[in-house]
Amino acid sequence: MRSSIATDLPRRLNKFFWYVIISVIILYSFKISRVDVFSFISGFSYSWSLIKEMFPPNFSHFDKIIILTFETISIGFWGTVIGIIISFPLGLLSSRNLFQGLPYIISRGIINFLRAVPDIMFAMLFVIAFGLGPIPGILALSLSTVGLLGKFYSEAIESVDRKPVEALESTGSRKTGIIRYAIIPQVFPLFMGYNFYLLDHNIRVAMVLGLVGAGGLGLELYNEMRSFNYQRVSALLIIVCIVITLIDRISTKMSKDIIEGEFLSGKNKVINLFLISIIGLISVISLFFIPVDFQEIISGVPRIFEFITGLFPPNLSGIDRYLYLVIETVSMGITGTVIAIFLSIPLGVLSARNILHSRIVNSLSREIINFLRAMPELIFALIFVSAVGLGPFAGVLAIALHTVGFLGKFYAEAIENIDKKPVEAIESTGARFIQKVRYAVLPQIIPLFNSYNLYLLDRNIRASTVMGVVGAGGIGFELIMSMKVLDYQRTLTIILLILITIVIVDYISHYLRKRVV
Amino acid sequence: MIVFKNVLKRYGGIKVLDGINLNIQTGEAVAIIGPSGSGKTTLIRTINGFVVPDSGVVSVNGDVVDYSNKKFLRNLRKKIGMIYQLFNLVERASALENVLSGCLGRHDNGMGLLFSTIGFFSKEEKELAMELLRFVGLEHKAFERVDRLSGGEKQRVAIARALMQKPDILLADEPIANLDPKTSKKIIELLLRINEEKKITLICVLHHLETVENNFKRIIALNRGKIIYDGFTSSLNRAELLAIYEESELCEAA
Repeated sequence: MRSSIATDLPRRLNKFFWYVIISVIILYSFKISRVDVFSFISGFSYSWSLIKEMFPPNFSHFDKIIILTFETISIGFWGTVIGIIISFPLGLLSSRNLFQGLPYIISRGIINFLRAVPDIMFAMLFVIAFGLGPIPGILALSLSTVGLLGKFYSEAIESVDRKPVEALESTGSRKTGIIRYAIIPQVFPLFMGYNFYLLDHNIRVAMVLGLVGAGGLGLELYNEMRSFNYQRVSALLIIVCIVITLIDRISTKMSKDIIEGEFLSGKNKVINLFLISIIGLISVISLFFIPVDFQEIISGVPRIFEFITGLFPPNLSGIDRYLYLVIETVSMGITGTVIAIFLSIPLGVLSARNILHSRIVNSLSREIINFLRAMPELIFALIFVSAVGLGPFAGVLAIALHTVGFLGKFYAEAIENIDKKPVEAIESTGARFIQKVRYAVLPQIIPLFNSYNLYLLDRNIRASTVMGVVGAGGIGFELIMSMKVLDYQRTLTIILLILITIVIVDYISHYLRKRVV
Repeated sequence: MIVFKNVLKRYGGIKVLDGINLNIQTGEAVAIIGPSGSGKTTLIRTINGFVVPDSGVVSVNGDVVDYSNKKFLRNLRKKIGMIYQLFNLVERASALENVLSGCLGRHDNGMGLLFSTIGFFSKEEKELAMELLRFVGLEHKAFERVDRLSGGEKQRVAIARALMQKPDILLADEPIANLDPKTSKKIIELLLRINEEKKITLICVLHHLETVENNFKRIIALNRGKIIYDGFTSSLNRAELLAIYEESELCEAA
């Protein structure tokens, strides 16, 4: 008997070992990102004084804000449109069940590369080439859209039903016929869903790209922030929040309609077509306001090649400093995720409808979560940099808040989807409420939570690589500086470091996620 | 001893239990049969308070069940083990962890509550859990996650969990409905062995006539919330047994 219990010991030791390692990593991350109790206390008081300076919001330049809002929407819209046009052929070419060999490898490579590079890096590059304004924003968004959409498209095509394809093959049809009549009808609704998702995503990103000069509200926000016009900043932020919430609502409704296959049925038809045409109309009208200087664009193209050739060879001097910054970046991601986990648990529990039966509390916490998810973290970072100063702490706070938007939602869904049967079984042993939670609810949701946390950790380490763009710590600051002073050889070193970090983190998180569920 | 007096339960306008009067002696093994919707599950769930009757009295071991008293219900449930059609285990936890959760009722206050909530169980309890797993023939799978076990193995874990309560009464709600015939036979044999060796009252809701005929001494047949037969299996002839089901099917057809 004793021997059989003893087999439990190695498992426990192993578990204990991992807990120790994880705790040490987390503690070091807090230390490196300079996050402690005092930074929180002082952060609160600084934030409070910033908020006081922001009131009352100054809407005196309202007309300008509206024009910039339209410009932002149109940057998102045209970036998406161009992205869709490029993604479609690339998506087809990178589908393994349609093409093999060189076309497949090349298109897959392009898509993977575009997805790995943060969108804001493209924006910086195009701002260098074409100057400030919306054009770099549109181009950067097109490229990042291809990275996401190309992958979505090819995954959809690779999972189509084979039977109609074979039926057409047996009629002796050419590949174009097969694609047109057997593949596209199957994937069309999915593609539309992805397109709307990307439109929503891109309008939000368009707000952020302005922070590096790529037009829209972001650019204005950055300028007002740097000239300490906090009352104007708050006016801009209010507009940003309203636009983001609206877009989030619209896209949630549309994607729900598309998933249910009700997009163009009944009264949805009128509403959805109206909404799309509004966004399209804004985007078309804004085109007339966008200063397109073809001279500038043509002269900008050689600058891109100049940049690319200027990258080589990478300048490896000072790499020890960059390595430290990489560690700081990873630490920021870890710290932000850990803080977010602690904030998300209460919010997730409050918004789970099967735990707390209060509609007001449920929907209130849901609204908070949705808002945090919709707001781009670089905008949070920009605000926190003004509040708590330059450095990783601002980045950590921004990442944490945005992450709550994801984790809170995931947690609530995990709690709502638990299997109730074991809960009753534990209740039937005469256990108390807390014991039910501990032995029937937690064992069901903790593996899911771990998986979500790892996924977000992976995502947040990527996100923290660009926090430096607004001065919120990490290696991003060196990246943007090296580009601003035209030291492209250093830029390449930093880009390579970022890409290597992302690949390693991606690999580790993928491995761990497979183990926890 | 379990006593039902005039127990009545309605769902909507339908009488699910319609004036049930019943005595079950300590140590008995009783099968409750009847067509779907005849009130079998509702009947046994009134015993441990998961269903509250609209009127009538249920008493267990001399105490009238007080359905509004949470503490009374907890104390009652500690002595009543329950196993289910779909096993109701935590799929992601190990077999041993599931079995250990059966003794939570004994740690419902003070330090015991604290320690069990953190996740500590005493050595005796762990050894008892292992012994019970051995009793149901699953000692070698103690550390296996439940979602890797077969249906029959899951039900054995669930039985071990119920035994971990050291119950006086074992309620089984269609325990073999999701198992193949061979496994079903083994599970019924196991339940009857528990009844015999450990002197635990067994009340088993079943659907399969064959299993009932061969194994249980007493059967109670329900139809439309009423007891239509209560007695020894041996004195029940096959035609009567079939009538219990056929009558309802005829009614449904009409």
